[in-house]
Amino acid sequence: MNAINTDALSAERQAFAELAKDFSAKKLFENREEHDRYPFAELITDAIRDAGVVGFYGVNLPADFGGVGMNAGMVAVILEKISEIDASLAGILFSNAAALEILKAAAESAGETGIYTAIKTLGTAPIAFPMYDSPDEINPVMLSKDGGTIFFGKICNFACGNIADYAVVPVRKKEGHPYSYYLVDLNDKGVTKSAPLVTLGLHGCPMVDISIEKTPALLIGKEGEGALYFRAMQDRMSLCVAAMLLGIMKGSLKDAFQYTNDRYQGGRQIIDWPLVRMMLANMALDAKAAEAILSMACQELDAGVHGWEQTAQAAAIHAAELAVRATADGVQLFGGNGYTKDYPQEKRLRDARQAANLLGMIPLRKVNYIARIIEEMA
Amino acid sequence: MKPYRISKKEKLSLLSNRPRIEEVYNGLECQHRIASNTHKDVETAIAIGRKFNNEVIRPIALEIDRKCMEDHNYLPHEFVRKAADWGLFSLFLPKMFGGGGLNFYAIYPFMEEISSSCAGLGHIVNVHYCGVATLFPSMNMNVITTVFRDVVKSERQGKPRLCTIVVTEPESGTDSQEPLLNQYSKATSNVKRVKGGYIVNGKKIFISSGHLSYWHIANFFEDKSDKLGSWIQFAVPNGTKGFSFGTHENKMGQLACCASELLFDDCFIPNKLISARALDPEFKDSEKGPRWVCHTIVDHVTGSSRTGTAAISTGIARNAYETALEYARKKRVAGELLINHQWAQIILSDMYRNVNMSRTVYMESAATLALRGLFKLLFIKPIHHFIKIMPRWYFTLLTPIMKSRLATWAMRQFYFHRYPTEERNAASGWGSACKYTCSDLGVINSNLAIDLMGGDGIRHDHMAEKCFRDIKLQQIYESTNQVNQMNMFYCLIGSGIPEVEYFK
Ligand SMILES: Cc1cc2nc3c(=O)[nH]c(=O)nc-3n(C[C@H](O)[C@H](O)[C@H](O)COP(=O)(O)OP(=O)(O)OC[C@H]3O[C@@H](n4cnc5c(N)ncnc54)[C@H](O)[C@@H]3O)c2cc1C
Repeated sequence: MNAINTDALSAERQAFAELAKDFSAKKLFENREEHDRYPFAELITDAIRDAGVVGFYGVNLPADFGGVGMNAGMVAVILEKISEIDASLAGILFSNAAALEILKAAAESAGETGIYTAIKTLGTAPIAFPMYDSPDEINPVMLSKDGGTIFFGKICNFACGNIADYAVVPVRKKEGHPYSYYLVDLNDKGVTKSAPLVTLGLHGCPMVDISIEKTPALLIGKEGEGALYFRAMQDRMSLCVAAMLLGIMKGSLKDAFQYTNDRYQGGRQIIDWPLVRMMLANMALDAKAAEAILSMACQELDAGVHGWEQTAQAAAIHAAELAVRATADGVQLFGGNGYTKDYPQEKRLRDARQAANLLGMIPLRKVNYIARIIEEMA
Repeated sequence: MKPYRISKKEKLSLLSNRPRIEEVYNGLECQHRIASNTHKDVETAIAIGRKFNNEVIRPIALEIDRKCMEDHNYLPHEFVRKAADWGLFSLFLPKMFGGGGLNFYAIYPFMEEISSSCAGLGHIVNVHYCGVATLFPSMNMNVITTVFRDVVKSERQGKPRLCTIVVTEPESGTDSQEPLLNQYSKATSNVKRVKGGYIVNGKKIFISSGHLSYWHIANFFEDKSDKLGSWIQFAVPNGTKGFSFGTHENKMGQLACCASELLFDDCFIPNKLISARALDPEFKDSEKGPRWVCHTIVDHVTGSSRTGTAAISTGIARNAYETALEYARKKRVAGELLINHQWAQIILSDMYRNVNMSRTVYMESAATLALRGLFKLLFIKPIHHFIKIMPRWYFTLLTPIMKSRLATWAMRQFYFHRYPTEERNAASGWGSACKYTCSDLGVINSNLAIDLMGGDGIRHDHMAEKCFRDIKLQQIYESTNQVNQMNMFYCLIGSGIPEVEYFK
C-alpha cells in the first residue's frame, strides 16, 4: 500500500499515484540500465520532457500560475511511485519542487507573487536547485559591490543546472550577512556550467558546478530571509526525501522477493534459508517503519497538526538510515549478481545513499533539528 | 596458598577451557613462537606500499575508475606492467621459488596500504596473491614450482603473468565455496578423464582480474554424486586450447579490477597441470578421507584469502577516513571549519576507531594463519631463518628436489595428514571473522564519510563515493558475509558442541 494513501485521501491523489506508476512503467522501466550510464550515455530527455506534459512540474505550484496547487505531500506521492522504478527522474522533480517551495515560502512571507511570472517555463520544465547542500554548507554567491542585482561566485553540486532554464540560488550581500534567494536565468552569458559531474547515484538527474559572473537576477521574497524560506522548504520537502527513499526500498524489496524465489543454492530456493528470510524480514521491517513515519508526517501536514515539521524531518532522516541499510541488504540477497549492473539492486543502493543526502548533510540536519526543539522549548 | 598462586597443572587445566589460547590469542603467541625479525618485513612491506601509492596509484586512481565507467572494455594493462616493474607480483613469493621473499605476515598490511588509495587497482595485485593462495594449499610442489617460477620470470621480463582464483559458476556461488554445501551445488561444468589429462567443459564467472591474468587456478568436481570427495584443481595457462575469456561484468565498484567469464570448451588440460585431485589414492585412501582433505584445502585457501579481503576492507575504511579528515580540515560549515565542530570530531573518532579495530582483527587472523594455518611451516623458526639466510641461487639449485614427489609428500604430510582439525578451525574461523567484521566496518566508514561530506561526498572527484561503491563488494565475494558468519559459527562455536547441526 502507498504510504501516503493509507487514509481515504482524495481521488486526485490516487489519480496522481496511478499516473506516476503508469508513467514510470512506460517511460523509465525500459532501458533503466542504459539511462543510468549518464553522463557517459544519453540523458533521459524524453522522460524529463514528458514529466512536464503530464504536469509533474506543477504539482506544488499555485493554481493561479497554472499549477495543481497541492502541497509537498502530493509531490511525495508521485516521487515514491517513480522511485520504485528509477529514482533519477524523482531527483529532477525534487529539484523543481524544492525551488517552488522556496518561491511559495517567499510569496507567503512577502505577499508578493510577481516572481512566478518571471519564469517562462513555469510548471512545464524543471527549475534547478542546489538540493544536496544546505546554505550552511555552501558559500552563497555574492552580490556585486554596488549592491545591485548583479552577482558573482560559484555554487557546486547544482542539480539540474545543465538542463533547466532557471535556478534558485542563495546569495549574500556581504560575508557574514544573512542570505537571500535569487532567481537566475541559466541561459545568461554570465553563467558558466561545468561538464556534468559523475555522481554516486541518481545518474539521470544531472548535477553540475555553476559559476556566475556579473549575472542579473531577481530577488525572491525579502532580502535576508533566505534561512526562513530554506527552513520552510526543508520541512515540506523532507516528506519528499522520505518518499523517494521509501520508493527505492520498496523496489528493492520487491525484486529481492522475486530473486530469492528464483535462485537456488545449497539445494533449495534461497528464500527458504532462514538467514535469507531474516534479511528479507529486516528489509520489510525497515520499509514498514519508513512507511509508517512518512504516512504520519503526511497526515499531520494535511491536518495542520502542530509540530508536523518535526515528524517530517524525522521521517527524512530516519528513512535515510533505513533505506541505505535495506538497499544494501537488497544487493546482498542477490549475491555477486547484486553487485552488477545487470540487476537493479546496486543502482538502488547508490540512489538511496545519494537521496539520503538531499537537503543537507545528515549530521547537520540532526544538529539543527534538536536546536529547533530546544529553541521552541525556551 | 594464596588464591592467585596457581599450580602449573591447574593453570593448564584452566587454559584448556574455551576460549583457548591457541584459538584467540595467536597475536600474543606469535611474540615468542615466530622469529623476532618478522616485523622487519612488515615494515618494509608497508613502506613499499606507501611509496607505490604515492608514485603510482594515487595519481591515477580516480582517472582509471572514471575511464572504466566511460569505456567498459578498458583494462588497465599499463598499471599491471607498472606493478610488475616494482616487482609486486613476486614480492611475497617465497625465496625458494625465486620470489622477493617478504613473509606472509607482511602481505596483509601491504594489501591494506595499496587498497587505501584504490581498492580496484590494489585488487589487481591482491587477487594475484589469492590465486597464489589457491594453488599453494594443493601442496603439489611440482605445479607450484612451475607456476611460481614462471610468475617470477615473466615479471622480470616485463610481461607479468598473474594468477586468479577460479571457483564460481553461474548456478553455483555460495555452495561451490562452502564445503558443507558442496554436495548440493548445481555446478554445471564437466570434467572428464581422458588419456594424458582431462577434458573440461563449462563456464566460470566473476573471476577477478581474469582478463589481466595468465595462470588460472581452476576448481571443479569430477563426480556429481560426491562433489567434495571428487574435487579437482588445475593450473590453466592462457593459450590452452579450448580455453577463452568471455565478457567481463559491468559492476558497481572496484572497476579497475575486472570480473571475467572464463570459458572452457572441450579444453584439454594435461595431467602435469593437475595440482590436486581428491580421487587420487593419496587422498581417497587416506585415514581422514578425501572430503576431510578437500575441506582442509578449501579452508587453507579461504582462511588466507579472506584475511586478505579483510585487509582490503581496512584499506577502504582508511581511505574513507583519510578522505573525510582532509575534507574536514578545509571545509567550512555554518561559518566554522568542519573539523572544529564537535559532532564532526566524534564522527572522525568513530572512523579512526573502525580502521584500527579492523586492522587488529585481520592481524589476529594473520597471526593465527602464521601459527596454525597455511603459513605455519614457513614461520617455524629454523625454517624461517634458513630461508632468510640462504641466497636465491641456492634454492634455484634445489628446484629439482622442490619439484619432486618427495617434496609434495612431505608437504602434504605436514598440511593434511598430520594437520589437526582444531588448527584448521582456528585459522578458517578467524578468516571468516575478520572478513565479515572488516567489510562491515568499511561499509560503516564509507557511509560516515559521505555523511560528513554531504553534497561533496557523492561526487566522483571527491573519492568518498568511490569508497562506498568499492566496499560493498567486500561483503559479497570470498563468500557472502552471511556464509562467513555461518563458517565462523561452525569453526569457533559449533565445533565444541556435539549436538549442533548446520545449514538446517
Ligand atoms: C566483483 C566480483 C569478484 C569476484 N571474484 C571472484 C573470483 O575471483 N573467483 C571466484 O571464484 N569467485 C569470485 N566472485 C564470486 C563470489 O565469490 C560469489 O559471488 C559469492 O561467493 C556469492 O555467490 P553468489 O553470487 O552465487 O550468491 P548466492 O550464492 O546466489 O547467494 C545469494 C544470497 O543467498 C544467500 N545464501 C546462499 N546460500 C545460503 C545458505 N545456505 N544459507 C544462508 N544464506 C545463503 C547469500 O548469503 C546471498 O545473500 C566474485 C564476485 C564478484 C561480484
